Amino acid sequence: MDATELRVEPALDTQTAWEPRIVGFLCLWCSYTGADNAGTARMKYAPNVDIVKVMCSGRIDPDLILTAFAKGADGVMVLGCHVGDCHYISGNHKTMVRMPLLRRVLEDFGIEPERFRHEWVSAAEGEKFSRLVSEMTEQVRELGPLDWKARLKECTGENLGPWGGEHP
Amino acid sequence: MRYEAPEKLSEQRRNGDEPRVGVFVCHCGGNISDIVDVEKVVEQIRKRSGVACVTTHQFCCSDPGQAVIEQSIRERRLNRIVVAACSPSLHELTFRRAVARGGLNPYLFEHANIREHVSWVVDDRKEATAKAGRLIRAAVARAARLAPLEKRRIPIHPSVLVIGGGVAGLTAARDLANRGIRVRLIESTPFLGGRLAQLYKIYPTGQRARDVIGGLIREVSSNPLITVYTNAELVEARGFIGDFHTTIRLVPRGATERCTDAQAAINACPEETVDQFNLGLARRKAIYLPYKGCYPSIPAIDWRNCTRCGACLEAGGVGSIDLDEKPREIVIRSGAIVIAVGLNTYPPRYGEYGFGQFAEVITLAQMNRLLDPTGPTQGELVVNGRRIRRVGFMHCVGSLQHEGVHKPMRDGRINQYCSRVCCTTTMHTAVELKTRWPGVQVYDFHEDIRTYGRRHEGYYDKVCRQGVVFLRFDPLRPPRVGVDPKGEWPLVLRTVDRLTFGEELEVPLDLLVLATGLVARDMSKLVDLYRCSVGADRFLMEVHPKLRPVEMATFGLFLAGSVQGPMDIGESTAAAAAAASKAAALLKAGQIELDPFVAEVDTSKCSGCRICLQACPFAATDRDEAARTAKINQALCTGCGTCVASCPCNAIQQRGFRDDQVEAELLALLEAEEPVGV
Repeated sequence: MDATELRVEPALDTQTAWEPRIVGFLCLWCSYTGADNAGTARMKYAPNVDIVKVMCSGRIDPDLILTAFAKGADGVMVLGCHVGDCHYISGNHKTMVRMPLLRRVLEDFGIEPERFRHEWVSAAEGEKFSRLVSEMTEQVRELGPLDWKARLKECTGENLGPWGGEHP
Repeated sequence: MRYEAPEKLSEQRRNGDEPRVGVFVCHCGGNISDIVDVEKVVEQIRKRSGVACVTTHQFCCSDPGQAVIEQSIRERRLNRIVVAACSPSLHELTFRRAVARGGLNPYLFEHANIREHVSWVVDDRKEATAKAGRLIRAAVARAARLAPLEKRRIPIHPSVLVIGGGVAGLTAARDLANRGIRVRLIESTPFLGGRLAQLYKIYPTGQRARDVIGGLIREVSSNPLITVYTNAELVEARGFIGDFHTTIRLVPRGATERCTDAQAAINACPEETVDQFNLGLARRKAIYLPYKGCYPSIPAIDWRNCTRCGACLEAGGVGSIDLDEKPREIVIRSGAIVIAVGLNTYPPRYGEYGFGQFAEVITLAQMNRLLDPTGPTQGELVVNGRRIRRVGFMHCVGSLQHEGVHKPMRDGRINQYCSRVCCTTTMHTAVELKTRWPGVQVYDFHEDIRTYGRRHEGYYDKVCRQGVVFLRFDPLRPPRVGVDPKGEWPLVLRTVDRLTFGEELEVPLDLLVLATGLVARDMSKLVDLYRCSVGADRFLMEVHPKLRPVEMATFGLFLAGSVQGPMDIGESTAAAAAAASKAAALLKAGQIELDPFVAEVDTSKCSGCRICLQACPFAATDRDEAARTAKINQALCTGCGTCVASCPCNAIQQRGFRDDQVEAELLALLEAEEPVGV
């Protein structure tokens, strides 16, 4: 990932107006329907998670998650069917293997692991979905904004970062 | 990394496909507009590039609402449509059809969910308006990059393969053949009838099980459209919806159709073994007929116990037995497959309530064999040489198991589910006992009783009136079975009765009947061949229990009966009838339309690494050995996109979920927020 890709649109307002921006990648069959379930039950939860729908959590390329962080997300959630309940038999098994690897990559990029959450939410678990969203929002709020610009400045200034300041 | 999104769009523009997105924001009669400031959202979206018009409507899904969409497409030359309304699960199809009527490809449509995901879950008007704005602009960004897609159309071979010759498989085969469909039914054992043939009387009608299954077998065997293969093993399965090729191995049954004197051949056999049909309560010969009137009526040889001595050859007559016939394999072609392999009863472990330790502890299925006048005791209530006077029934053996109390099954899991049929069967059996032998005392030990079905509660009422004694135990302290210290009775059951507030009781018994639960069969071969979804309870799973029952995630596969969970006979036949209707509907259409969201390979980028071959849960990815690249079978692909994420070369893209489409949506979501004043 080169520096130009890390450019973010400047935050409009000051710290006081900051709200966590979280992207949720949800599989259609379980988790998206679970989110619908929360809606139908009129469960109130934090409005900070914006949902990107995919057919299966197995479709979620770790690249997409890195893109989300690079382009201004303060947190990312990946929600799929419980193991054994995948509409596509084993699509979520792939997710289950990929996400822990991605977590290590995120650490290498200096992104706190708490900014990323991978959970299973079934179509009936509206309550779990709303709880996860609110928990995640509070968790990210405590961490503060993932301000790439400031972090980059800090890295280049003090020779920190994944490549010891040297760009490979 | 990629970031192809802008180039893709400019390429699209060069091709003369300048997006003109029409956005329709629904009030949903206040469901949305009471919380979301619709006018504010409209104002924001109108300013975005590519948006040709933004319209609001009280109910977009209503006929006038749909008419507005159709009209706008024509009048304003719209080429992409976004509707921001309820969840796509409700009205995506409605709007796709409206878009198609307006003259556009139905896949040039994107649905933004601002009701279930916004107005119903966010209280604050400002926050809800901001979130609706983000979701709609993301939908617009995605819509601008959508390409027209066509549903896949696949021709269907006009025949069905039914796997399993029990009540569900037979029902499905009969229903299909009655609709004029060619059916091939395969059964792994030498005889049709399955578990139903082993039962005695069945609820809620009290009919003889053998009359019910016999009638069904006659209908199936006399129908010229149905071919039955017994002693058939699954070997291999290829193909996909519309054109499955299943290879089966036909194990010879030994006896041939020329066997006129079956009984003489059976009598001549010197080998004896445990009679599985009578659940170990009797013994039979190595060449056998399980019961009088079974189908086929030709005896079968149990090869594991046959010594090929040839005694039956002489007794059975010329050409009656062929000991040297080799197994042969045949390929069955079908457009759809009905899976009706049924289930097993829970095998109690040694020592579970004394099972295996005492001959007087039997299962409910064995009890059914004892009650049958054609059974091992000719219907006499005699066990271990003793006439039975006190019978105990133990509920939930192998069902409703508790962590820490029950030992897990071989796969490390306990059976937490209710097996559903055992309570009513127990009541029904108790009624039979008390009716035939009024002097027999019956005790019922339960944690819970669930006679849930229509007319099931009647049996409970009846046994209460007949004087059956009910004792309720604490599931964490189940009753213990031991010997009678006085030696008067073979068994003594010690329990703490919760109905009398913890009274400790000793109940002497002649016979303890374990109401064993129902467990899934070992279906690993089947699961492997057809790539079935298996639930945590080991039963096969349908796509959706309410919206798409009896259908499997793999297109063209249908589940009939208790292969998908404990069911009684009525429920099994209902499920089988449903599977038959769905399979028939599929075949009658002649072809099938599938969602177009399949994966495709850009062979110029593919390195031929084969990683996608392992990623696909449906074996839709294959390798074109000549071109040394991956290829995807469009009929097998279910459109999950797992291969897309696995491809290290970004050579695979999923139609409708291309990387650039998902990324455009993502980037639009993450744009800097416009301050929203309300």
